[in-house]
Amino acid sequence: MSLALSTQLICFLLLSGALLLGALGVVLLPNVVYSAFLLGGVLLSMAGLYLLLNASFVAAAQVLVYVGAVNVLILFAIMLVNKRQPMRPMRVLLLRRLLSVAVCLGLLALLVQVALTTPWALPGPPSIGEAALTRIGEHFFTDYLLPFEVASVLLLMAMIGAIVLARRDVLARDVVTGEPADQALLERQRPPFLPSQGGSSPSAPSPR
Amino acid sequence: MIPTAPPRLPFATLPGGNLDLAGGFQAVLQGWGLSPGLAHALWLPLPMVLVLVAAVVGVLASVWMERKVSAAVQQRIGPEYAGPLGILQPLADGLKLLVKEDVIPARADSLLFTLGPVLVLVPVILSWLIVPFGQNLLISNVGVGIFLWIALSSIQPIGLLMSGYSSNNKYALLGGLRAAAQSISYEVPLALAVLAVVMLSNSLSTVEIVQQQNSAGLLSWNIWRQPVGFLVFWICVIAECERAPFDLPEAEEELVAGYQTEYTGMKFALFYLGSYINLVLSGLLVAVLYLGGWGFPLPVEWLATVLHQPLSSPLVQVVTASVGIVTTVLKAFLLVFFAILLRWTTPRVRIDQLLDFGWKFLLPIALVNLLLTAALKLVFPTIFGG
Amino acid sequence: MFGFLKQVGDYSREAAAAARGITQGLAVTFDHMRRRPVTVQYPYEKLIPSERYRGRIHFEFDKCIACEVCVRVCPINLPVVDWVMNKETRKKQLKNYSIDFGVCIFCGNCVEYCPTNCLSMTEEYELAAFDRHSLNFDNVALGRLPTSVTMDPAVQPLRELAYLPKGAVDPHGVPDQERRAGQLPQEAAAANTAANTKEDSRP
Ligand code: SF4
Ligand code: SF4
Repeated sequence: MSLALSTQLICFLLLSGALLLGALGVVLLPNVVYSAFLLGGVLLSMAGLYLLLNASFVAAAQVLVYVGAVNVLILFAIMLVNKRQPMRPMRVLLLRRLLSVAVCLGLLALLVQVALTTPWALPGPPSIGEAALTRIGEHFFTDYLLPFEVASVLLLMAMIGAIVLARRDVLARDVVTGEPADQALLERQRPPFLPSQGGSSPSAPSPR
Repeated sequence: MIPTAPPRLPFATLPGGNLDLAGGFQAVLQGWGLSPGLAHALWLPLPMVLVLVAAVVGVLASVWMERKVSAAVQQRIGPEYAGPLGILQPLADGLKLLVKEDVIPARADSLLFTLGPVLVLVPVILSWLIVPFGQNLLISNVGVGIFLWIALSSIQPIGLLMSGYSSNNKYALLGGLRAAAQSISYEVPLALAVLAVVMLSNSLSTVEIVQQQNSAGLLSWNIWRQPVGFLVFWICVIAECERAPFDLPEAEEELVAGYQTEYTGMKFALFYLGSYINLVLSGLLVAVLYLGGWGFPLPVEWLATVLHQPLSSPLVQVVTASVGIVTTVLKAFLLVFFAILLRWTTPRVRIDQLLDFGWKFLLPIALVNLLLTAALKLVFPTIFGG
Repeated sequence: MFGFLKQVGDYSREAAAAARGITQGLAVTFDHMRRRPVTVQYPYEKLIPSERYRGRIHFEFDKCIACEVCVRVCPINLPVVDWVMNKETRKKQLKNYSIDFGVCIFCGNCVEYCPTNCLSMTEEYELAAFDRHSLNFDNVALGRLPTSVTMDPAVQPLRELAYLPKGAVDPHGVPDQERRAGQLPQEAAAANTAANTKEDSRP
């Protein structure tokens, strides 16, 4: 086996091991912070797998979007919410766990079945390497234009929703409770520090 | 970095038959009776080690420069007794941190506490992968180039959050949250500024970005075509490095030392190292993206023809390569110098001013810059890389 | 529409003003870089304290009459005067005297009011100690004289800003004999007496 091939194999084994263990950790660990950090590890090893497949752009995008944005957001959410709630003991916990295990095993069986029955072309199509970037761009702006735009509209909606939820004071009535909102929380324009200033903002005193 | 197949050889040959360090090295080893595969395997780690050493030396140099320039700005002398002009002071600092006791607070989460600084440092070092010091003087000419750097630098906030959370200290947690918020909000205008440059050069690869700027020396640098982008990029990069005036994750007056509060010894040294490697890296990237990378202000081809030297002669090749390395490093350190000067000029911003500035000022400006670039590219394709 | 345009204009004007401010600031810091440092490299070079420097207090045991005036005028009643009544001489006999310099504020009241001038202020300011209790000086420690900066062979004495010749800012390399700016105290006193006598002699 040549140097490149054995390196590749070792990397593949390491990455998939890290991926599987990490994923199990995300699900099974009781500490939610650990789960979140492990999720970052899982996404990173996934990026590594993409890299092994010569899809460097997809790998970088994976890191940027999932690790850099989504995972950090999850961590933010965990760390900013400090509501201490005692965990209530759930009834029939064992039964619930068994049920979820059964569902997961069923899904796994389905996946394995699909993987086994699909006629994979071996060896697969040659990787196009760096030309992939152009190809992805072309697809985004031709045949996948609609899904692309729909996804962006979805994100926009999510953003507006988040803003509305976060800034309840902009509305006259609270969206959740229906009571009049506390308008005192509204950010007011501060008077400028220097009255001579013509501008509206207190920044940038003119150097004269 | 995993060498993906087919591995592009580091320091590989140029089509024109230029400097071939890899080939030469392997030929020497094979002359000693080693197999070609072994020679190749021995060559592979060399550039990486070299760049690691370069990064660390760059850190030592910039720490020394930071101290000396700060001293000069405040009419002090600065380090003087450790070596001539105190040049060994950063080494002494490093040695001190190395032998210091490594304290892990009793209630801290020791695993995450250890992992945090590593996660901050590793992406920064990995980013040196794409910094070109010359036509072929870089570890890997990855196609995604500059995008890789953006992706890698987005891992950093996780390390910051991790160390902030695991210290079990409210100042550390607040500092970590601030740092993460700051680097996320400045990542966006940064990426947009880079995008405008990429649009000009039609490539993400750092080598091509530099080549595209070097047709006419000084005049063809991107800074003339992207003045706004340059400023936006520079500000964002300073914010990403958490340097003054954006150093509020470590604001002493409010947060003790932010996420580094509980760290001592070598773990603290990792943070320290990381921030300075990042600073030098940022200087290098600004040089690559906007100041023509390894390009000398006068085009080398022009100089060679004036001096009646054929471009392909080995002497010219070696001189060109060394001039390229020196030029890149000089440009980077000029920018580091400006960062230091800025540190002693501007007061620290508040967190709300920071976020306002990022989202309400830099982001719209970067967007307008991007749109303008696209429009200009359509109108003047010859100048703006059609 | 017009309001929006005005807002945009204001905004960009402010941004330009801020940019100009930062550039000016950079110019200032850059300009400071070419000025010479005025650093006094402390353990090797020291400034000569002025004549009226209020440093560690010196005490002469034999002069003290144990009147405790120093204790009364001290804002915190700091000096400890330990005396007994000598029945034979019918005088107070001083046994111990101490001042805790960890507490003293160096106001100089005790020195000012001591009737026998047995207290004086020295130029010593290096009072660092590993234990704050070692700052509690007894009469022996109080009786020691500090090494003067100008006498210490290991130290390069430098003049303070007010004692430099006219126009000089950096004490390094200023010749010892060069006269300082302004009048010397004795000259001022002489001028004062001259003016007074003139006034008196006037009819
Ligand atoms: S005022 Fe002077 S003489 Fe009187 S007790 Fe104090 S030191 Fe002694
Ligand atoms: S200098 Fe002032 S504070 Fe110190 S002992 Fe004398 S009177 Fe008290």
